[in-house]
Amino acid sequence: MRKLPILLCLALPLFADEPRLTFDNRPMGSIAKPLVLRSYLPDPGLEDSVFSQHDHARKVSKYNPGLGSDVPGEIQPVPGLAAAIGVNFGPSLSYVFDTTECRLLYTWQGGFVDMTPYWGDPDKGSRVSFDYVPRLVGTLFWQASGPDPIELDGKSIQQLGPRVFTGYRLENDTPIFEFATGSTRFTLSITPSNKPLSCDLTLTSSSAAALSWRGIDSPPATGKLTVTLVGSDLSKFQGYQRDNKITTASAAAGETLFNQYGCAACHSIDGSKSHGPSVGKLAGHPVEIEGLDQPVLADRAYLLESIKAPNAKIVKGYPPNYMPPFGLPEAEYDSLILYIQSLDKPE
Amino acid sequence: MTSLFLKLGVIGILATQTLYAVKFNDCYRIEDIKLPAGAPPEVGAIDIASDGTLFIVLRRGDVFRAKPTRDPAAFDWQLFASGFDNGCGLDIVSPTKIRITQMAEMTEAEDSDGDGSADRFTRFAHGWGLSGNYHETNALTRDGKGGYFIAVGTASFSGPTFKHTLGTFSDAGRRGRNYSAVKWKGWVLHSDAHGKITPWASGFRMANGIYQDPRGELWAGDNQGDWKAITPLYHVEKGKFYGHPNSLVWDPAFTKSKDPLAYYRSRLDEYNRDRTPPAVEMPHMEINRSAGEPMEIPIGSHFAGQMILPDNNGERVTRLMLEEIEGVWQGACTHLIDGRGLRSGNHRARFTADGKQLFLGQTVRGWGIPAEGLQRVTFLGPVPFDIDRIRITRDGFKVSFTHPIPDSLKDAQVWKLSSCTYQPKWTYGSEPENHREHAVRIASSDEKSLTLKVDGLASGRVFRIHFPKCDSPDGSPLQNNLAFYTVNRIPITKPD
Repeated sequence: MRKLPILLCLALPLFADEPRLTFDNRPMGSIAKPLVLRSYLPDPGLEDSVFSQHDHARKVSKYNPGLGSDVPGEIQPVPGLAAAIGVNFGPSLSYVFDTTECRLLYTWQGGFVDMTPYWGDPDKGSRVSFDYVPRLVGTLFWQASGPDPIELDGKSIQQLGPRVFTGYRLENDTPIFEFATGSTRFTLSITPSNKPLSCDLTLTSSSAAALSWRGIDSPPATGKLTVTLVGSDLSKFQGYQRDNKITTASAAAGETLFNQYGCAACHSIDGSKSHGPSVGKLAGHPVEIEGLDQPVLADRAYLLESIKAPNAKIVKGYPPNYMPPFGLPEAEYDSLILYIQSLDKPE
Repeated sequence: MTSLFLKLGVIGILATQTLYAVKFNDCYRIEDIKLPAGAPPEVGAIDIASDGTLFIVLRRGDVFRAKPTRDPAAFDWQLFASGFDNGCGLDIVSPTKIRITQMAEMTEAEDSDGDGSADRFTRFAHGWGLSGNYHETNALTRDGKGGYFIAVGTASFSGPTFKHTLGTFSDAGRRGRNYSAVKWKGWVLHSDAHGKITPWASGFRMANGIYQDPRGELWAGDNQGDWKAITPLYHVEKGKFYGHPNSLVWDPAFTKSKDPLAYYRSRLDEYNRDRTPPAVEMPHMEINRSAGEPMEIPIGSHFAGQMILPDNNGERVTRLMLEEIEGVWQGACTHLIDGRGLRSGNHRARFTADGKQLFLGQTVRGWGIPAEGLQRVTFLGPVPFDIDRIRITRDGFKVSFTHPIPDSLKDAQVWKLSSCTYQPKWTYGSEPENHREHAVRIASSDEKSLTLKVDGLASGRVFRIHFPKCDSPDGSPLQNNLAFYTVNRIPITKPD
């Protein structure tokens, strides 16, 4: 761990020299202490050729867990990076290095990532995920395309065979990635540059062949190459923007919210069992409640209470203290109720 | 506060030596361990180094360590490493070197320059895929030979896959509720000491915790759900299939169908022949809703040699009384602790070297109310009045207790035994079937135990054993009056 000067330490909170991951959905490192974050990471629109060492997922038929079989409809795979590492030096530089492709995938400035979709909305307890891919914050200035840009004697290392990630080390807290193709070992470090929309690359190779980075003119180098990757303003990202903008309640809006708030993870809509009771064929029907002799009618008041204060009435056979209370705008409550009520009608 | 605990401990020890009643609080102390300020305490995994240092991995990526102190609020947590994706398996190789199973790989993190934090992050084992689904976390246990067993979780239909996957994508594996779209989801893998992996056993839905006991037996739990009728504990053996079909898309020896989910859905009899049933089935409402990491209770505590199974979805820890009958493992379950200040989210467990303290790592995220953090259970010394063991006989069960039992328990009328079967299938959990009540006779009894002759004892059934709450003659209240015994095999012994 890098030691800060004593005087500076005294002036900071005790854990300031240990930049830990906190409830802050926009974690940031600094030039002195870059942040390394492994998580699912966004794919800002990388071309297919970049994924030569990945497989392609395919769409799948919608599955009904109550029937145990497929039903009409399809689920499409979504963009995202499964095994990449995000690194942030504060506002000056962020990048994504992929451990599957063993290459730099994209670089940006002005922010890092917004983890809200995965880490959860602080207003709702900071734990409830609604999707699992963070959103970028800042200006994207470079992204990978075509074959691997690292070249030996003018030939992309992609032609030499599979690239295999072996790990990384921290030097002055800056990661240096290590990978190999065959018996040739490589390292790559990416650091902030003084030039705008740029970063510096330091590449090493165990090969005696001439080392170059496709598209960047540089003097011939063997063993070690340092170049500046100059990009341009490709697009801007503002992180996760939650604005449901629901002014008029509707069942359709309710369906969106039902998935967005993660309700679907525990409550089926077809009557099948899950962590929580199904909301299918619920509205207008009697519900057996723990501790009550008589069933309760699942009317609007019941549904509203169950969202606002889930512990007030626990459905028989299900655990208490399981669902968090949801504090939502009135139009969102109404939309969710309309959606649940719509599930009572025959299709 | 500390001195008060000390006094209570002394009183507790005295209690075992006299005939005073022993209550729960004389036997166990449950404390919340204060974790580093500002960090969401989603504990993915815990382990204890040889020098007693406790390491925890938080799911957002940080690894902290501290020497446990008597004061649960005084642990001096230091950041050891960061940058892990959902680390849910942790092994402390040495106080300066750790290994973590994260989503995409198993990584070794080492402090090579002795400055107190890791600077080398080396891929140790890899070879399983990652589809982009949030559910694909992994757990580990040591194999005793420098390698590991790694339990690889399946994906959930509540989340998608990415367009580009790490590892080969299988259309058939992707189908269904919990799925295995990429390699080794739903498998237990073996990694040798060099990180080379070999598939070991299939059919898991979410073995959130795997454990090799001191005798080398391998155990893994699972979560009630599709193809898991209730909460199971499996004795894991190489080459066996434990019931969740999707993982079979990666088994070259499974040649019956390219779509194992569809195949077994319509062939449950064949499915039952092909699968290895759990050693213990735990009714999810009464005992355990979601199995965490199994762990043997070490010498130093009462119930030593028995196993605990944290409940990831209940404020409780299950106690398992296992026995091997003619080569088949089975046994009984009841609670070690139910409530009493325990949080939910229990999924990782480590005992201290002296066996007197148990750390429980807790996390629930993504849905539900957060139940998370780190708790410490101290076994204070006195032994509670509890079920000690339940063993099967050729025609019933021998139930022994930790304290002398009152005469009221020696009346067969108070023993209520029933049994049922469970058929795992595509549904989320399965209802009990073939319910039976069983007449009971007391075949024999002594000061601390009873042998029950059970009319209709049969294998393939889970027996519910219930009797009234009572006190021991020394006044100690009984902790548990409900247990379930999974009968896979009835011992064949010569008639008396």
